[in-house]
Formats: sequence, C-alpha cells, structure tokens
Amino acid sequence: MKLSSLSSNKHFQAWFKSPWTYVTGAILLSIFQIATIGSTGSSWGVTGPFATWGAWVYQAFGGSVDHWYFFSTEGGQASLERSFFTDPASVRNLGVIVGALLATLLASQFKFKKIKNLRQVGAAVIGGLLMGYGARVAFGCNIGALYSGISNLSVSGWVFALFMFAGAFVGSKLLVRYFMA
Amino acid sequence: MAEYELDCLGEACPVPLVKTENKLKELEVGDTLIVIIDHSCALKNVPEWARKNNHEVEVEEIGDGEYEIFIDKTA
Repeated sequence: MKLSSLSSNKHFQAWFKSPWTYVTGAILLSIFQIATIGSTGSSWGVTGPFATWGAWVYQAFGGSVDHWYFFSTEGGQASLERSFFTDPASVRNLGVIVGALLATLLASQFKFKKIKNLRQVGAAVIGGLLMGYGARVAFGCNIGALYSGISNLSVSGWVFALFMFAGAFVGSKLLVRYFMA
Repeated sequence: MAEYELDCLGEACPVPLVKTENKLKELEVGDTLIVIIDHSCALKNVPEWARKNNHEVEVEEIGDGEYEIFIDKTA
C-alpha cells in the first residue's frame, strides 16, 4: 500500500491520526482505572513515584529518608523497598511515556519542538517545581488526588477539584498576562 | 480579503487558542487567518472554537506534526 493511500485511509484516520473524543477517553480511563485497582490493589497515581525515585537516588548516594515524615506510612516504607521494575506505579509511568511516543509515531506527528524564548524555559522550570511540590504536600496530583480520589468516592477528590479550578483560573490569568504579548 | 499568518509553533495550550481569538478580533469579515501550530491539542480546540463561532475552517498538514489552520472570518 502506498503511503499516500494509508494517510487517507479512513480507519487509519479514525484510529491513529485524529484525536479521540473526550467521551472515548473518559470510558477508556475508567476501564483502565478498574484494571489498575484490580491488578495492583491501589488506584492510579503519577507523581507519587517521583518522590520514591528521588528517595532511591538519595539512598544510592548514602542518604537516609528513614525519618522523613513523607515516607513514614506503611505504603511509603513499602515503596522504598521496591525497585523500579517491581514498583507498579513506576512501570506504569514508563508505559505512559512509551505509549505516548508510540501514539505520536503511529500518527506521524513526532517532532522536536523549538523553544520560543527563555521566558518559556523559566516558566516551565518554575511551573514544574511548583507542581511537583504542590502534588506532594497535597498527597497527590490531578490523577492520584483528583481523578482517583473521586473515582474512590472520596470527598477529598472534590475538595481538590475545587481548589485546582481556583488555581487554574489564577494560572490562566497569569498566562494571558505574561505570555500573550 | 486580506490574509494573515499567526505563528504558534512551539506554543502549548491554551496559548494558540487565545492568540487566535485575539487576532481574529482585529480582522475584517472576509479576511483569512492562517494559524500555524505543532501542538496536537490546538489541532482540536482551535478549529472547534472557530466552527462554534460560525467561521469557515480548513486544516492542512504541512509536515510531521505541523498544521496550518485556515479560518475565514464570516461574522
């Protein structure tokens, strides 16, 4: 099959090229959340493992996090004893990255994007630090605390949602003010 | 019937959409705005917003992950 005919094939367009609808995404996320709880015993989370990875690195250089409040829970202690490939959340994070790469390659949309200006770099670094810190003091990110919280019928997920919207509102005002010039 | 270009390469959501909204306000009815993007979310929300506002929209893939969104201002 010629490449030009592949890219105009309607099944290729629907499955690989065009973005799926929000409803399709929502249904798939729900199915995978159920599969995640069923197979690993805990809900989907993304940023939790980042702290664990940090602790592993720190321990590899001779540090000790034994007395850190963050790792004082049973789950926290258990995560320290695992390795990357025996920690379901770590492997899943790797899967998210590999899956995203595969999806963009299948759609032939892979591209190294140019950095527009230093301001973009600064915003990304500051934003990343704030999000990482915020996700840890809130005991979860928009996945672990919001999505998994709500899907476990916890009120905390809704409280998180309320304040996340407030944060997003302020954030988008700042974005329009500093990045639209 | 003038044609304008809006370079949004390297910009992530919601920058391309907000820039498009602002730029389109400056245009006359009948003018065309070409928004150049390389962010897949913008490929969804920019045409969606423009169609919702009754503008004529056409999307063209100009390279791997690079698109031109043609918006004819109709109202």
